[in-house]
Amino acid sequence: MIRFIVRRVMQSIPLLLLISLLVFALIHAAPGGPLSTYLENPNVRPEDIERLRKAMGLDRSLPAQYFSWLVAFIRGDWGFSYADGRPVLERLLERVPATIELVGVSCVVALVAAVPAGIFAAVNRRFDRVTSVLAVAGISLPVFWLGLLLQLVVAGALGWLPSSGRTAFDGGDFVDRVRHLILPATVLAAALSAAWSRYLRRTMRDTVAQPFMRAARSRGLTERTLLLQHALPNALPTFVTVVLLDISMMASGAVVTESIFAWPGVGSLFTESLAKRDYTVLMAFLMCGSLAVMLLNLIADLAVHTLDPRTRSAA
Amino acid sequence: MSTNALTTAGARAENRAPLVAAALLATLLISAALAPVLAPYAMDALDLVNRRAAPSTVHWFGTDELGRDLLTRVLFGARVSLAIGLISAVVSAAIGAAVGATAGYAGGWVDDALMRATDAMLAIPRLPLLMITAAVLQPSVPLLVLLVGLAGWMETARVVRAEVQSLSARDFVAAARAIGASPVRVVLRHVLPGVLPAAAVATTLAVGRGILLESALSFFGVGVQPPTASWGNMLYQAQTTMTSEPWLAFFPGAMIFLTVLACNAVGDAIGAAKG
Amino acid sequence: MKRLLLVTALAFVACAKEKSASAVASNDLLTVGYDREPDTMNRYATHILEDIESCVVEGLVTNDEKMNIIPVLAVEVPSTENGGVVLRADGGMDVTWKLRPGVKWHDGVPHTSADVKFTVDAINKGDWKPESVDGFDRIASVDTPDSLTAVVHYKEVYAPYRLQFVRGTLPKHVLSGRSIDAAADYNRKPLGTGPYRVSEWKTGEYILLEAVPNYWRGAQFPKIKRILFKFLTNTTTRINQLKSGEVQMVALVPWDKVRELRSLPAIRINQVVGNGYEHVTLNQKHFPPFAEVHVRRAMAHAIDRDLIVRTLLDSLVQVVNGPIQPLSSAYEPDVATYPFDPPKARAMLDAAGWAVGADGIRAKAGVRLSFTLITQSGFAIRENVSQTLQKQFRDVGIDAKVRLIDGTSISGVWFAGDFDAMLHWWQQGADPEMTLFFASDRMPPAGRNINYFRDDTLTAMLYASDRTADERARITILRNAQRRLAILIPELPLYNTSKVDAVPVTLQGFTGNPTNAGPFWNVYQWQMTAP
Repeated sequence: MIRFIVRRVMQSIPLLLLISLLVFALIHAAPGGPLSTYLENPNVRPEDIERLRKAMGLDRSLPAQYFSWLVAFIRGDWGFSYADGRPVLERLLERVPATIELVGVSCVVALVAAVPAGIFAAVNRRFDRVTSVLAVAGISLPVFWLGLLLQLVVAGALGWLPSSGRTAFDGGDFVDRVRHLILPATVLAAALSAAWSRYLRRTMRDTVAQPFMRAARSRGLTERTLLLQHALPNALPTFVTVVLLDISMMASGAVVTESIFAWPGVGSLFTESLAKRDYTVLMAFLMCGSLAVMLLNLIADLAVHTLDPRTRSAA
Repeated sequence: MSTNALTTAGARAENRAPLVAAALLATLLISAALAPVLAPYAMDALDLVNRRAAPSTVHWFGTDELGRDLLTRVLFGARVSLAIGLISAVVSAAIGAAVGATAGYAGGWVDDALMRATDAMLAIPRLPLLMITAAVLQPSVPLLVLLVGLAGWMETARVVRAEVQSLSARDFVAAARAIGASPVRVVLRHVLPGVLPAAAVATTLAVGRGILLESALSFFGVGVQPPTASWGNMLYQAQTTMTSEPWLAFFPGAMIFLTVLACNAVGDAIGAAKG
Repeated sequence: MKRLLLVTALAFVACAKEKSASAVASNDLLTVGYDREPDTMNRYATHILEDIESCVVEGLVTNDEKMNIIPVLAVEVPSTENGGVVLRADGGMDVTWKLRPGVKWHDGVPHTSADVKFTVDAINKGDWKPESVDGFDRIASVDTPDSLTAVVHYKEVYAPYRLQFVRGTLPKHVLSGRSIDAAADYNRKPLGTGPYRVSEWKTGEYILLEAVPNYWRGAQFPKIKRILFKFLTNTTTRINQLKSGEVQMVALVPWDKVRELRSLPAIRINQVVGNGYEHVTLNQKHFPPFAEVHVRRAMAHAIDRDLIVRTLLDSLVQVVNGPIQPLSSAYEPDVATYPFDPPKARAMLDAAGWAVGADGIRAKAGVRLSFTLITQSGFAIRENVSQTLQKQFRDVGIDAKVRLIDGTSISGVWFAGDFDAMLHWWQQGADPEMTLFFASDRMPPAGRNINYFRDDTLTAMLYASDRTADERARITILRNAQRRLAILIPELPLYNTSKVDAVPVTLQGFTGNPTNAGPFWNVYQWQMTAP
């Protein structure tokens, strides 16, 4: 097990290098740069733009910029934001708690809804029909659409909840924070819980339909017992894989959700930084994002090893 | 009505559902293909004086911000959205199944190399990566289809690999191996059929995901660009008029909903039949 | 489990109902929905909009809603008439600023001419990154004969001198000897002389301003105790919050969103004619047919600007005929115009040798009159206007392909000159300078002449206007320049950029502002009254 982990960590180093090169090339290939915002400003003269370009080191060749970035990055110096001149690490770290809070709560909500719903749906056909309609609705609504709709109805017309932000400026107690969390977490959890419950239900059903279940059935076990005692444990390894992979996908949903609900997390930092072509912040965001996903992948693999008796004995 | 009768009626409805869904999908595909013939108006026929008209006998779905016929736009939008959903899902599924099956069956260093490549692709946050790529390439529709497809094969690969691994460990595959069947034959005859349900589920979900991913890109202004219509960008443009002109949001939204619903039903049926 | 969740959720929902969108009468707090988070509060390093900054840091002057330049920290605006501006024999000029006595920084230190001198020196020293050194680079030195007088010695005549210190001064006693880029304390919570100071800046969420106790205009100002700027980058979210009453004011409402705000009883729509104009830039270098004046004039006749303004823009803006807007003292109303007249447009193109081809598109000597029109994506009005222009050009045999590019990329694209035609605006300051946009030697990267338009007569006029310190003489030159521009029509002017703000009906004293000085220029006067 430990050797497995060490090997995976060693393998991830060249991958991260590759990703950094790819991402660096991509963001610098995009038209415009950190100075784009200045171009629209009549008070900023062409001479000013040239001066700022030199001052920011943007007049150097791209390979030179990449290597100086890489060397500094490895040494732990992530540089300064082109937009506001503050250290990149500081800008990133101040946004991380909000995102962890949102994604964490959404995951819990999604799991709490999906696991029982998936199991009941596998056992009970009538419940299945109800949840399948709900699930399709959850899957087929664009995140931004659901978000804006909830904002309009729950926060706007009904006035029950705040429509955006993480805390009221004069609030910040537990109740206030939960009230701010409900809408964005619901939106983020909706699609995932729908997909997860469907996935769990289907894998359980499929397992029951497998030939090796015939033996169990011939022993006179009921369908329900088969599902709960045999299909569920069988379905768990792949389900856990899917869940862990989807959590990393949540980063994508979070980018949209944070933008709509003005949630001060790393997702909205990314959108802002992309619009400003804030290269240093973008690089740090994508490198940390990639690292986080790799970590989740590793955990997913370990989970499969631990949960699935077959692969465990094989490894 | 007794519980028994209800269950029977339900079961009958369940049997018919895939057929209805398949028919719906076929209708959507045909009307998308025939959009230039079916559409009551020209795609770019502006009528600024009659903008934001409610649905009527003249304009069945009403008109948009520029007075264009919404039914026409929905029909032309179907071409783009269905292409993005279906083709990108097929691209994803093909690459994913190939990579996953190879890795899962071969094991060893092949498995390692393929899975690390998958990890690398999976590691970069998807929507941010697509947003940057779209900003660089300013992509046309075909390129966008390819981008969405290339961004989505990794899950299928991992799911297929996991299935293949667990199937390979089972007796009937071991038996096939023991009697000297070639690896390709074992994979095609014994392993892939077992993997199909899971792959079908992943693919049907990918259709909807492709359509939705395009709408998310539209939300950030890097999706399909007007004047080309897609259901995603129509829905995005309708976001501010949800209360005053709800039909602008309803029709493209309903089309996305129906398409994803139909794909799921068909995927269910495939899964059930093969399982 | 699910039921438990539902109950808990309902309990939280019931805990407190949000304020509904009813009228606000309290002077305690004004909540503003703001479309972006500033990078810094340092006015010399911030981008275009300085709304929040201008509540804290005051300029020596500002400009009012009619675009008059009025003194703030200065006693008066220097001019040749009042003796504040003296032209030197060596071609330079001296501008004397008299500072208002009794003004103190928020920490109690007096605001003096030493601060003016420090500001000029700090910017010219160049060891930090102010976004613009415009005008400062022409200052040789600053003398401070007394604590309230600063004499600015320019190396040459610099006509826009009046707005030199519109962004205020830097406090010498705080920043002297320090790296200003690294002075996070100042850049996040600047020391100013204005009616407010930064109470709290919660990154990604909001900036809260609080009234200072001893504002120099008197203890009765400002009336509103706190102003909260909430950062809401998504337009729909901003509008939704206005509807729910979570924010009470939104500055610069997009024109296509105004319609749905009119029905809100708690909101008043304030509209001022803006000092900017939407137009179609015609890049002659990239698409040579634009170099023919007949083509440009025919295109102008092909556009139905009145229809566009009446329908797509809900009559919120006015059709304009040139780059200088009616608000400006340099505006010339009597210029050549190009009314909507498709038959005339077709006739002009026929006469110029652009014959209609088999595909309905005109061509001459193998060159088709077919180009790409770029504009900013995600900007609903522009998406709609560009598609309407496409249709109207097509009606006279000109093919325009619309391509939308995101807001950041498009700046890079036009700066590189890599486009045929572009629908966009220029937002201008109060000074009517046009040189940067139309002089022959001001094509990128040396300027913003992105029509790549060349006219020696016009260029000479524009440079002459820059070197004329006397306001009247300068205006005469600029008026002639506008007449010449309208005849040559290097770009197609469409309409003026009205500035529309949504404010509480109970807010008194709000006027809006046509320039980048922003609507908060007179925030000290604002107050809420009972409805």
